[in-house]
Amino acid sequence: MLNQLLTIAGKELTDSWHDRRALLSAAVYSLMGPAVVSMVSLAIRGKHGESQPVLIAMMSVFTLVSAFVGGMNVAMDSIAGERERRSLLPLLMHPVSRLEVLLGKWVAVAAFSAAGLTLNVAGFALLLGRVPPWQMALCLVPLPLLAAALEVWVSTVCRGVKEANTYLSMLVFLPMGLGMFMVFSPVAGRPWWNFLPVAGQQLQLEAGMKGGQLDMPQTLFLMLATAVLAGLALVAAADRLEQDDVVYGE
Amino acid sequence: MIEVRNLQKQFGAVAALRDVSFRAPDGAITGLLGANGAGKSTTLRTICGVLTPGGGEVRIDGASLAGDPLALQRRVGGLLDHAGLYARLTPREIFTFSGRLHGIAWRRLRERVEEVIAFLGMQPIADRRTGGFSQGERMKTALGRALIHSPRNLLLDEPTNGLDVPSVRALRLLLHRARDAGACIVFSSHVLEEVRALCDRVVILAQGHVVAEGTSAELCRRAGVRTLEDAFVAFTGTAEVL
Repeated sequence: MLNQLLTIAGKELTDSWHDRRALLSAAVYSLMGPAVVSMVSLAIRGKHGESQPVLIAMMSVFTLVSAFVGGMNVAMDSIAGERERRSLLPLLMHPVSRLEVLLGKWVAVAAFSAAGLTLNVAGFALLLGRVPPWQMALCLVPLPLLAAALEVWVSTVCRGVKEANTYLSMLVFLPMGLGMFMVFSPVAGRPWWNFLPVAGQQLQLEAGMKGGQLDMPQTLFLMLATAVLAGLALVAAADRLEQDDVVYGE
Repeated sequence: MIEVRNLQKQFGAVAALRDVSFRAPDGAITGLLGANGAGKSTTLRTICGVLTPGGGEVRIDGASLAGDPLALQRRVGGLLDHAGLYARLTPREIFTFSGRLHGIAWRRLRERVEEVIAFLGMQPIADRRTGGFSQGERMKTALGRALIHSPRNLLLDEPTNGLDVPSVRALRLLLHRARDAGACIVFSSHVLEEVRALCDRVVILAQGHVVAEGTSAELCRRAGVRTLEDAFVAFTGTAEVL
């Protein structure tokens, strides 16, 4: 099981690594946050000392988004693209289960998501001149796993790259919209938001970047909730992949 | 050896296979002949374990596919419908990926990849990305992928589509060599001349049924006609539809 999964993940990593245009695009998106925030901070410099919390809140939205855009192209190309170029059928002729195919691709997408997220956080750390507390890693680790699972699921449902592109771009609105809502809405501060996947990560990111302490039980619960949601998305994707018509192209 | 018994497959309201039974022996090329939509591709996809049969049975080298499909997939290689290559990978990378999935150990795999490259005469293109390949080069790469685990049974679904004359001749030569080495080859086509030139036995499919089976000469004799084309028309009951 593990062997087949790793072989598939390895192939997707090599294949995506060759796709330099997609890599560049993901890197630009990941670094967009630090770039925009540094420009905003230049623009409002010296006006008043209250600006930093808002900047940090903005950063956290960009960080959430970076986890989603990091693996987007890989999910699109390796699953919807696989159907479109009709390479899924030859792949399934190997002694490999569809679940192994799915999990292998998920691992590859998650690796690129994590790379996007790391690039983004490193950019912000550099910008703020501050190393985020190590606990933040705990709260962030499940995020690329969830983003990858959702992207893999969306891509499995789509019949081609173009369709996947449409829906995956909409999926990015989830962290963006939720993030913006959390920054600007007065109702967003309620404690239970801390336990919600994506929203919870955003609040923890803000708290961590502001130099506050993270609540450990809360972080662990959030990790678990995010992992469960990722698991559900993977189950839905696996179910889709078992159907006969996936072996037919567009 | 591949045996198919009373195979059935339904897609929604459409019955793709109603009752398909035939036997493809070792050391022979068996041609699946049928009009578009007769069930050739569905039959081949079911044999290679990608589609689950709705009824009936597939046996490969005597073992039922229903038992352990993944184990039987190691005994089958296929070039189905379309090359389906990875444009950013080279043939060498594709063969290695395929061999790993078939569970070939690294040390053996390195030799095996070289063997396949040499067998198909692919040395000059083995390290070029397949994105810019011609149809013939794509077909060779897909065939190499199907041969990497040295399968005893080989399925080919209209492999000559879009190939030029030299490539078709090269493919024919390769298949004859594989057959003479004892492989069981099932070859589907709707090009009658192709089937006549290449196949030792012919299975004619129409609307999800096997309507005739035998050598090309037997089929002509039974239908009381001179050419395989006339025999095909006689068995499938399809005259020209324009």
